[in-house]
Amino acid sequence: MTDVAWLTVAEGSQLLRAKKLSPVEWTKALLDRIAAIDSQYNAFLVVTADQALAQAKAAEAEIAKGQWRGPMHGVPYACKDIFDIEGMATTCHSKIRIDHRASADAFVVKRLRKAGAVLLGKVALHEFATGGPAFDLPWPPARNPWNRDLHPGGSSSGSGAALAAGMAPAALGTDTGGSVRNPATCCGIVGMKPTYGAVSLNGVFPLTYSLDHVGPMTRTVEDNAIFFHAIAGHDPDDPTSARRETPDCLKDLKAGVKGLRIGVIEHFYRQDAEANADQVRAIDQAVDLLQKLGASVKTIRLSPLSLWTDCNRTIHQAEAYAIHEKDVQQRPEDFAALTRNRLLPGAFVSAAKYIRAQQLRAALCREFADAMRDLDAVMTLSSLLLPSRIEDAAAVAKTYDQQARLVFNVTGTPAISVLTGFTASGIPLAMQIAGSAFEEPMVYRIAQAYEAATGFADRHPPIKLREKAATTA
Amino acid sequence: MSDASKTPEAVRLMAEQHGLAKALKLYPDGVKAAAERGLKPLGDLPAGTTQISSPAPIFNPARFERGE
Repeated sequence: MTDVAWLTVAEGSQLLRAKKLSPVEWTKALLDRIAAIDSQYNAFLVVTADQALAQAKAAEAEIAKGQWRGPMHGVPYACKDIFDIEGMATTCHSKIRIDHRASADAFVVKRLRKAGAVLLGKVALHEFATGGPAFDLPWPPARNPWNRDLHPGGSSSGSGAALAAGMAPAALGTDTGGSVRNPATCCGIVGMKPTYGAVSLNGVFPLTYSLDHVGPMTRTVEDNAIFFHAIAGHDPDDPTSARRETPDCLKDLKAGVKGLRIGVIEHFYRQDAEANADQVRAIDQAVDLLQKLGASVKTIRLSPLSLWTDCNRTIHQAEAYAIHEKDVQQRPEDFAALTRNRLLPGAFVSAAKYIRAQQLRAALCREFADAMRDLDAVMTLSSLLLPSRIEDAAAVAKTYDQQARLVFNVTGTPAISVLTGFTASGIPLAMQIAGSAFEEPMVYRIAQAYEAATGFADRHPPIKLREKAATTA
Repeated sequence: MSDASKTPEAVRLMAEQHGLAKALKLYPDGVKAAAERGLKPLGDLPAGTTQISSPAPIFNPARFERGE
């Protein structure tokens, strides 16, 4: 059997169902691993060991009786600390929320409870899902398991670090301008930002009202599709929730790409902004590989990346400020400097500028829909640069300015980050595959074909086990 | 930390109007940079979209009716 720490959701679920692995054994192994290595990565804010073991024992008993609930039954996961879990604080990694207690579970947490999944704990993020890796908060920022001196990406930084370090096989993230796909890119895992409305935002502390998405994060594409199914679906209590059935992303997952039409948005990284040569080389190789696998690939052109960035940033600034205005006015010193600097510009965005950004958003959405008329998907880079050193705030800020993820928050359409290889020094490289609204099955299908042909997902960071295990002590 | 009294008058007035007196006192450089970012004009709208184009989403009163 694969080392339990590196079991995928799909592998582990099969073993659980066949009673060749116990949910308790899997959960204990991960809790031990968290105790042994997380002091190097700071992924977890809270480890819910007792609850996790109780949930694992309940799953074990049900599976033993033949009451298998589905592919997430008995599967451990980690939760970004921006989702409400009844009785726990939703700190959003902020001093401001340190005394909060949630009175109910977020919709997706309820869904995962119903599916029999096992919560390992709540993981780190950039404060309120904005700003950056801050050193002036009650908890340290998460570190990148491939090189702990590097930024793990954010804002779902703990989710990315926990997955890459083998501390959880699945994690929940949120994405307003790329916060699922950035840590997926930097940590060499898989992160999906689904269609706006596909996954409920109920019980998730908002960063913005119209750009936020909940997204599944895993180590493989298949696991991501499984996790997406567990959390997606209509929520009558969320006005943004789509009234439609979740498409079956597993049915044609392994159908390959032969005959599929893929557009490459090259100008984002060849003309519009400076891109790292390794990132560009890797996506060029990905284009060649997808063509060899039978896809028809052509270059397409959209509005310049700067226009998409302006649109996303303006809406983001105005909406985020509306949420945090009172605290920014009354207790600005309680935010991390990076967060405060991200929130303050919203005070100066005029109503007219916000409306113009909404007009721009409508135009850009039409433009993307027109481009997709004769395509099944598009691909482009995720990060244009490599992850910078975590303590170099200026370099980290530059990575947030040079990225092509926020494009798909503007369109609200699905986009996934998948590994495209590694630099000579072992830093993960990645690209995005994106589709039309509610076309998650197509996005997953292309990502799966690419991942299977490369085998990059089988590579793990060199983790040093330093400390004594907790639950077996 | 720089001196709040050296903040441009227009920024100081706007910040105070927006209730940011405390932030201005503690972080004058941060407020000045924020004003520059927030006031930066948006890029041009794509061809075919003008300032009288309706923004999305359209307000839909029917959405609030019972059963909707």
